[in-house]
Amino acid sequence: MTACSNAILKIENLQVSVANAAQTPVVRGLSYTLEKGKVLAVVGESGCGKSLHALSILRILPPGVQITGGHIIYGEKDILQLPAEELRQLRGHKIAMVFQDPMTSLNPIRTIGKQLTETILAHQKCSKLRAQARAIRLLKKVGIPDARKRMKEYPFQFSGGQRQRIMIAMALCLNPDILIADEPTTALDVTIQAQILELIKKLQMQRDMSAVFITHNLAIVSNVADEVLVLYGGYCMEKARCSELFAHPLHPYTKGLLGSLLSLSGEKPQRLPAIEGYPPAPGTPEKGCPFAPRCPQAMEKCFAQLPPLSEQAGHQVRCWLQEKNA
Amino acid sequence: MIKYIFRRLLLLPLVVLGVTFLLFFLTQRLSPEMRASLYIKDPRQMGSLEEVIEKYGLRDNLFKQYGRWLGSAVSGDLGYSQSANMPVAQAIKEYLPATVQLAIVTIVLVVFFGVWFGVVSAVKKDKWQDHLARFISVGGFSLPIFVLGLLLLMLFYGKLGWFPPGGYSLSTDVAIHLPNFHHYTGFLLIDSLLNGNIRIFIDVLRHLFLPALTLCIGSFALMVRVMRSSMLEELNKDYVRTARAKGLPEHAVIYRHAGKNAIIPVITLAGIQFIRLLGGTVIVETIFDYPGIGRFGVTAAQQLDIAGIMGFSLMVAVLFVLGNLFSDILYTAVDPRIKLND
Repeated sequence: MTACSNAILKIENLQVSVANAAQTPVVRGLSYTLEKGKVLAVVGESGCGKSLHALSILRILPPGVQITGGHIIYGEKDILQLPAEELRQLRGHKIAMVFQDPMTSLNPIRTIGKQLTETILAHQKCSKLRAQARAIRLLKKVGIPDARKRMKEYPFQFSGGQRQRIMIAMALCLNPDILIADEPTTALDVTIQAQILELIKKLQMQRDMSAVFITHNLAIVSNVADEVLVLYGGYCMEKARCSELFAHPLHPYTKGLLGSLLSLSGEKPQRLPAIEGYPPAPGTPEKGCPFAPRCPQAMEKCFAQLPPLSEQAGHQVRCWLQEKNA
Repeated sequence: MIKYIFRRLLLLPLVVLGVTFLLFFLTQRLSPEMRASLYIKDPRQMGSLEEVIEKYGLRDNLFKQYGRWLGSAVSGDLGYSQSANMPVAQAIKEYLPATVQLAIVTIVLVVFFGVWFGVVSAVKKDKWQDHLARFISVGGFSLPIFVLGLLLLMLFYGKLGWFPPGGYSLSTDVAIHLPNFHHYTGFLLIDSLLNGNIRIFIDVLRHLFLPALTLCIGSFALMVRVMRSSMLEELNKDYVRTARAKGLPEHAVIYRHAGKNAIIPVITLAGIQFIRLLGGTVIVETIFDYPGIGRFGVTAAQQLDIAGIMGFSLMVAVLFVLGNLFSDILYTAVDPRIKLND
């Protein structure tokens, strides 16, 4: 592991559970370090806990889901222990978030100008006019034409892509240290997806901002991420530098994910390869590796005991196959 | 918007025609003699029954009689109310403002407490605040209004002596009929201020309080329910999560974001309830001896004052249409997505 001097956010053994009698775990002992100016992509299928882990960072989990253990360290403080007011000052100011669905993530009956300026005013003492001027600058920067006029308009008067641009402007208006993007392009159509990704990447580089990028789309990852973390059934399965992961995937699940990507070069496959089966529903009682039931290389041991997360030259993997080799 | 209002106003005559014709038709079930006898005060004049029938054309066919009523109604003459001893139009002018005043104060209380309790209930879901708010609202809803009214009267007037019963004090009654008191609007609350007479204002307000409170407790349960469920729905929406993630203070998240969205259905409800208050404060007006239009309507109905009944229902029909139109317009003010065209 690289030295943590550059670390800006450190997650240690994060546990998130559904607040029912069984305390169904959805994120199980997730740990990682986000470095300054770097982009970490968290990849996984739906239900693997990737969005919930992201919401945990700002402690905005939906009712009924709670953090049951671990630490999230930002600036020498554990976010999970912060009192309400300090937490509020952190949200949107130091750590900002862009959500999946721009159609529903903006208040439908509030002008976007108000929604932008209120964010600025919640964290900084400045006049309304200055906040407005700043909001207009940001809107221009994310590519909303006629920004001054459109400040007075409501979300329904914008297209989906424009709304996501507005969400990005809102997240960036206080120059946060960390941007968390929770599937920011999933709800948009493909041509817009690329534009939005490019925009986020550009702004991230300009500002030397760190980012956590939540996605189920590996194709996106290769363009934006420095590091990739593969999540499955609430566990970290593999984590490596982006180029390393694409070149030498170690976990059968990661291999399966990469194998199911369409490639423009090479021979056209008869049928796109896919991973058989479905991800486990949260709460499925299990011993051993959560991927074992779908794993083509599963051994007896895989069903009996959870493999440890081991690391070699910065490449982490949780698989018995790798243990044997090591 | 203007076009929409205009089109809705075009509906007004249709509604009025329908309502009044229906009622007129019902009164025609009484024989001409029965209707004529209503005009006769002294039993010794019974012989002149035929003259009255002749004079008012009570034997003419339904449409002819209705046409006659309609003709004079359009020209502003709604007939003479036997029960109120004055022309119907004058009776409405005299009694309606008191009821409108009561209805406005009530609806303000209902919306204020309904929204407040509803929001608290939703934010503190399943905690004691929620249970308390729901208990109070359902309790008020379950108590018949005449029981509630009498209880409040007993407590605040009988025991504590804080609030008086009745429309207004004798001194106010005298003062407002003096020639130097100008009736600008007919609303005593406003007129007393315009006349610079704060004493009358306070007196009227004190007399308004108990009936308004009774009506409020009786009808705010529904408001609490609607606001609570609407608020619960909004609190779960994505934009509320966004507002939190932006680092807005919790009260801004709840009131500025979720609350404003949640209040939209409450506006329709408030509109409906307000109109119902205008025509339906009868019981409360009777209990508190409040000189409103509801009492006029009931007396007219009890005494078979046909002109009075017709005038009263005409007024209620007009208020209904206008009230609905008003709450539609109010919508556009709250929700930018709603545009009143076509």
